Amino acid sequence: MIEDRRQRTEDRGPRRHDFRRGLRVFCLLLSVFCLLGMAKAPKKKVYVKTLKDGSYQLMVQGRPFVVKGVCYNPIPIGKSHDHDFWNDPEKPWLVDGALMKKMGVNAVRFYQPGEDLEAARRVIAELYQKFGIRTMMGHWLGFWNYPAPFYDDPEFRKKVKEDLLRTVEALKGEEGLLFWVLGNENNYSFSGKVNPWTSERIEKLGDPRQCMLARAQTYYSFVNELAREIHRIDPDHPVVMGNGELICLDLASEFAPDVDIVGCIIYRGKTFGNIFKGLRNTFDKPLVLIEFGADAYNAQDKKEDEDMQAFFLKSQWGEIYKNLAGSPDGAGNCLGGVMFEWTDEWWKHNEWDPAGWSVQDTASNWSNGSYYLDIQAERNMNMNEEWFGIVKLVPEDAPEKEGQVPAVLDRRQPRKAYYDIREFWKDPKTKRNPRK
Amino acid sequence: MKRLLAILAVLLAAAWNVQAADEQAPSEGAAQKGGKVFSVYTDSKSPDNHYIPSGWMGDFGDISMDDKYMGEPHSGSTSIKFVYTAKKTQNQGWAGVFWQNPANNWGSKKGGFDLTGLNKLTFWAKGAKGGEIIDKFSVGGIKGTYPDSTEVSMGPVELTTQWQPYSINLAGKDLSYVNGAFNWVVNADSNPSGATFFIDDIKFEYDPALKPEGSKSQEMPFYVYADKGSIQNHFIPSGWMGDYSDLKIDQGVAENPYFGKTCVKVTYGNKASNGARWAGMYWQQPANNWGGVDAGFDLSKAKQVTFWARGEKGGERIEEFKIGGIMGEFSDSDTAGIGPVVLEKEWKQYTIDLQGKDLSYVIGGFAWASNLDVNPDGCVFYLDEIKYE
Repeated sequence: MIEDRRQRTEDRGPRRHDFRRGLRVFCLLLSVFCLLGMAKAPKKKVYVKTLKDGSYQLMVQGRPFVVKGVCYNPIPIGKSHDHDFWNDPEKPWLVDGALMKKMGVNAVRFYQPGEDLEAARRVIAELYQKFGIRTMMGHWLGFWNYPAPFYDDPEFRKKVKEDLLRTVEALKGEEGLLFWVLGNENNYSFSGKVNPWTSERIEKLGDPRQCMLARAQTYYSFVNELAREIHRIDPDHPVVMGNGELICLDLASEFAPDVDIVGCIIYRGKTFGNIFKGLRNTFDKPLVLIEFGADAYNAQDKKEDEDMQAFFLKSQWGEIYKNLAGSPDGAGNCLGGVMFEWTDEWWKHNEWDPAGWSVQDTASNWSNGSYYLDIQAERNMNMNEEWFGIVKLVPEDAPEKEGQVPAVLDRRQPRKAYYDIREFWKDPKTKRNPRK
Repeated sequence: MKRLLAILAVLLAAAWNVQAADEQAPSEGAAQKGGKVFSVYTDSKSPDNHYIPSGWMGDFGDISMDDKYMGEPHSGSTSIKFVYTAKKTQNQGWAGVFWQNPANNWGSKKGGFDLTGLNKLTFWAKGAKGGEIIDKFSVGGIKGTYPDSTEVSMGPVELTTQWQPYSINLAGKDLSYVNGAFNWVVNADSNPSGATFFIDDIKFEYDPALKPEGSKSQEMPFYVYADKGSIQNHFIPSGWMGDYSDLKIDQGVAENPYFGKTCVKVTYGNKASNGARWAGMYWQQPANNWGGVDAGFDLSKAKQVTFWARGEKGGERIEEFKIGGIMGEFSDSDTAGIGPVVLEKEWKQYTIDLQGKDLSYVIGGFAWASNLDVNPDGCVFYLDEIKYE
């Protein structure tokens, strides 16, 4: 009997061992599955967070980020828009980056990289690594294509798409990249006023308004296609769609729903008016003002006027902050702004006249009544394209003055707006509501 | 005893004179802070009067004035009678009178009064026949080297044959310097046969219960254009743009209006006289306000703008019909529009949707724009029943 029990015990031994081993494996597998299930999906580097009250916040590496940006196009005196500053051996961004950092700028906007994407990558890297400044990288989407941007032509669209995605592939890995910006004021072409384009299909519609709507649908659908492609290959960075004012954004809400952020270009003087709430009603996406500002030349008094520029910019930043998430009396959909622009550009008044590139023209290209402090200028022409910088360029041979920052090509001299906005950013709540 | 009585009599007489002096009107230029009434006109030659009705404007040749008119004044023995003939003697189509201090002071001299402490202007008015339309009654508004510290208007007003009280709320306004105390303006379109009317008892007062007038949200429908000279009309088609020399407008075309007695006819010539090759027109409040005057209407109750339009021939292309969009120191609060529109020869109604728009401040009540690229021969078109609703 005892021998039988011993035998029965010996018989059970190997099965018990298997069971325990199986149990250990099971527990191990169960732990792994649980850990996988509990682990959160990896956070995107940059994304938009919707808060409980419906307001929007840009998140960068897990923290709220207010865009305090400048449009950056460091064309030296004597050069024009096609100057390849990306490969400029003088590296103006090293001087500008330092000044920007002192001011509090945290992002720069490039309208498009140059042909050399490796050079663009280096600039993005250096701005971020040395100064903590991130890059908003744009692409014109062929808008300035000669003779016209044929958005209804599949071949044209294919070329634009290939070029854009090549850029995305090359630069998406850069730590300093903030987001992509598709187009600028391309929507002004829908009515035929700027860079008119069309197609046989569109012209067959006959009615001019129907033609305009068809162009809007074509373009916004294309932008949506591009946004989806970018999301697929670069999920870490949002896609901003540039748009002049809010024009046609009701159509964008239908045909470009996959863009992450709307980027508006607005020149309305001291106020942005109803744009924040207007966007909520039209195309409820977060908003970045990707281009706004004021010039520093008083066309009425015919002299530089830094006070005038500072006045408008301070007012504009006040409205931006009023409409950020967390502000009690705004729309809560603004993510920040990008001032036009960092430095003056001396080529802009007449880009086809090389003699003019070395002279800072004081003639005005356009009129805007909302910049009313000098609207009484002759023929009301008060907007001076070569004077929008918050930092002015000083030729090398000009007498040195206090406050100028030496640069290899042109010295930089911050204007009053530089200092006023710097102080505003340090304490925006108090600056928006100063005690009387 | 007699001496005592005499002394007493002298003292009483002195006291009486002091009281009488206190009741006299303050001398010119003296501050009137804290005073309760400051008269502009009570009766002809009254020592209480201040300011002189010397600032005649527009078709001043169409105006005659009798400030000693004795026929049924509102109070006292006289009122002021104005006769406006609407003959457009100076080709302006409008006329008005400013009360000024000193006389004929258009802001080049230091004068005026400090009316701080007062908060409204009241007056009585009536028409000889009833139906006379006064475009506006105003306080302040004279510019120049010494500008008035405020400008407040009311109107239009349709007078009756009975004396009616009118009031301009000045609560919260800066009355520290008022040269142009009071003025009225009429126009020939609203009074094609002229207008005879009477004004009396014009004075600044203080009302402790009066609160500053916030922006009043206008009731709907709110017309831009109903008929020529209609009291329902608002905004003035004064903002001519682009090739403005090629534009003509007639607001009283009686031939084939869509509704009522008249419609608007716009003629856009193709000469590109000012080199722009485009043209447009804004209906503004007040006239010629490109954002420099704080005078907008609150049209928040409006859901849409509707209007009727037709082309002379059909096929005229208007690139844009819009509202708002004027930008200046006091910009329109928003903008909305439709276009391009190809007009038909028959009347057709168009709608500008205002959903989601901020209409709290509107100075650009209506506008159109077009160009010679789409209208090589220029164009002629008609508008009627332009309204917010």
